[in-house]
Amino acid sequence: MELAVAIGLIILKVALLIAMLLLLPLPLTWVERKIAGHMQQRMGPMRVGWHGLLQPVADGIKLLTKEDHIPAEADRFLFKLAPILALAPPFVVFVAIPFGESVSVLGNEITLYVSNMNVALLFVFAVIGLEVYGVIFGGWAANSKYAVLGSLRTCAQMISYEIPMGFAVIGVVMLAQSMSLLEIVRAQEDVWNIVYQPIGFFVFFVAGLAEAQRIPFDLSEAEGDLGAGFHTEYSGIRFAFFMVSEYVVMLLVSVLTVILFFGGWNGVLIPLPPLLWFALKVAFFVYLFMWFRFTFPRYRYDQLMAIGWKVLLPLSMANIIITGIAFS
Amino acid sequence: MSRARDTIGTWIGWTFFADLANGLSLTFGYMFSKSVTMQYPDKEKWLPYSRYRGHHFLKRDEEGEIKCVACELCARICPCYCIEVVPYEDEKGNRRPAKFEIDTARCLFCGLCEDACPADAIALGQQYEFSSFSSRDLVIGRDDLLAKPGKAATGGGVVAARLNTQKDVLVETDERQGYNWWRNIRRR
Ligand code: SF4
Ligand code: SF4
Repeated sequence: MELAVAIGLIILKVALLIAMLLLLPLPLTWVERKIAGHMQQRMGPMRVGWHGLLQPVADGIKLLTKEDHIPAEADRFLFKLAPILALAPPFVVFVAIPFGESVSVLGNEITLYVSNMNVALLFVFAVIGLEVYGVIFGGWAANSKYAVLGSLRTCAQMISYEIPMGFAVIGVVMLAQSMSLLEIVRAQEDVWNIVYQPIGFFVFFVAGLAEAQRIPFDLSEAEGDLGAGFHTEYSGIRFAFFMVSEYVVMLLVSVLTVILFFGGWNGVLIPLPPLLWFALKVAFFVYLFMWFRFTFPRYRYDQLMAIGWKVLLPLSMANIIITGIAFS
Repeated sequence: MSRARDTIGTWIGWTFFADLANGLSLTFGYMFSKSVTMQYPDKEKWLPYSRYRGHHFLKRDEEGEIKCVACELCARICPCYCIEVVPYEDEKGNRRPAKFEIDTARCLFCGLCEDACPADAIALGQQYEFSSFSSRDLVIGRDDLLAKPGKAATGGGVVAARLNTQKDVLVETDERQGYNWWRNIRRR
């Protein structure tokens, strides 16, 4: 009986998580377009629903009813597999992400995470690394030069930015003496890691921008020079999969930044419910992503590589050394 | 000396991403400035200046008689040959157009017809909402041209989109000097 309840609870949590992650991109697209509009002194979507609130629904219906086109020369199996491969890893990662300690529902304590792994951070990096397969397969299978170029760029970009990203969090792990995300947040109860790890945060966030393929590092789908990069040939629901995965990765990087450097659900000054604190911080970073997108131009490919290898990697290593010396 | 200091200052600025922060603050400021979108045709629309060259109209004199004397000068000068005038003699012995057709699909709205007319009978008004699905509908006959709205006294403003330019183009806008497009654009 105990076991059945536990399993049922886990299934319920996973279902909730998946529903949330699948639905969240809808309002996010609306928010992004509104922000884009207002930053360019436009209004953004205005016509579907109140201030265009139903625009994402309209877009979703449009994507669902569009022709699902597969190019004649494409590798059909890989072509169909790629969107799923791109979509699954960001969802899987959220299994290891805690959203708070616990809440009490009907007198029962329910934890706000699916599992408390002791190597959660490692798990996150391992699984998020798999996302690149979706991109590479998608680009390769489509048999189009834009798609191949886009996926090659993504491949190089992901690999070179995962390294500084991984190094950047070592400082955090050293401070918390644990790889469990829960422990890391608990260790920040008094002082957030950003105070001790400004360099680590900087490297992590910039690498995260690159990992999420957002401007200024969105070379894989640079509209100007590559059509749409690796998903040039995708349409309909498969394209929607790539879109959703992009938003979930953006969310993931925001969530990770908050957990690793901004104290997770620990609040300051104003006493708010921990979950609300967490949501507010994540919302701020999501806004930051969008704000960046409509401010910065895109980096050139060689600049991208130079930043990754010549700036971020040495910085992250220096961060490890400094942290090691200062806290030994 | 000052040059060297400038260089050092620039480098320090770059180290702390002064340029990126500058850009971010600019876009943030824009985010909360008024948007310049004119919500046409949902809410508002643009009433052009009275010198705007829109749809043609034929004028009448004080007695309500059509002013045009069917001299065909406008048809002559028209660079697109889109005016066709056929004259006749009315009861009073005046030369008047029996047929006066303008093919607005071909017209380039140069206003030469207005300039050429010796009787001040034709002019280009402010109406601009006459798109159509068929180019045949764009051939406008004499009586339709007589019914078209004339020039408004004012212009150059934003009016409610409900306003029918066919009927009442004579509206008062607050902005007699015209709509200031730069009004909401922040410059620095
Ligand atoms: S505006 Fe120019 S093109 Fe149009 S009818 Fe007059 S003369 Fe011809
Ligand atoms: S509109 Fe003027 S120019 Fe044209 S035929 Fe009539 S009088 Fe002559």
